[in-house]
Amino acid sequence: MAAADDAHLLERLLKGEQRAYKELVTTYQSAMRAVAYAIVGQRHADEVVQDAWLSVVRNLAKFEGRSSLKTWLLTITANSAKGRYKQNRREVLLDDLPSPHGTIGDDRFVPDDGHWAVAPFAWHQDTPEALLTEDELRNCLEHTLASLSELQSSVLLLRERQGLELEEICNLLTLSLSNVRVLLHRARLKVFATVEHFEETGEC
Amino acid sequence: MLTCKEQVARSSDYLDGQLTFRERLLVRHHLMFCANCRRFIRQMRLMQATLKILPEPPIADVDALAERLAAERSRDP
Repeated sequence: MAAADDAHLLERLLKGEQRAYKELVTTYQSAMRAVAYAIVGQRHADEVVQDAWLSVVRNLAKFEGRSSLKTWLLTITANSAKGRYKQNRREVLLDDLPSPHGTIGDDRFVPDDGHWAVAPFAWHQDTPEALLTEDELRNCLEHTLASLSELQSSVLLLRERQGLELEEICNLLTLSLSNVRVLLHRARLKVFATVEHFEETGEC
Repeated sequence: MLTCKEQVARSSDYLDGQLTFRERLLVRHHLMFCANCRRFIRQMRLMQATLKILPEPPIADVDALAERLAAERSRDP
């Protein structure tokens, strides 16, 4: 959302216009939830988002537009998550959980020369819209996303769905750039393997 | 020259613009000569675009929440 839109929305929020709040929640809640989910996990993510919303409303007048509204909301969410649960989640990082359709792993390559042993299967569709006309693929993707670790799926969604820069993800989740890169790459390969499996077999 | 396996290992960094200039050239060079890896990268991009538009689960009780937040706001002007 552009700065002018932010400013207009903010004006309506300050007046207490209910429709503006609905717009705010609809636009930003899923990004906030992804941040909360990454830091405190599924069990507490909803509470953290609720806390964050209250804190947002109480501090609205202090928002100065130095960052985008989205960045401000996500920073509040991250702080609210970190303040509430100080546990260190870093150990989760190396957990690479098995995914329903595996990944693009070493077994796809010839050990001696690193060429493809099983080349990538050519998908039947070449637009995202065409891929998603298959309801079963949607379910299949949801299933794979749910199989990722909390950090992996949050990082993936913050990057691909919310379009955050890697730097922003590092700051919000207090992760190093190299950790974010690893999380993102592993998550992508698993989702890739899922689409490939579906395109190849027509089954989830 | 990179192997296919090495190209795949760098693919996310390539897509995110995280490679050094030299590494980026190595990947481009590999892609120029390898149809399988070109397909891989093209389909990685398609996968990214698909996640971007994958419908999200609807937010529960958005009206109730909006009402509560608006009320909270008017209590604390």
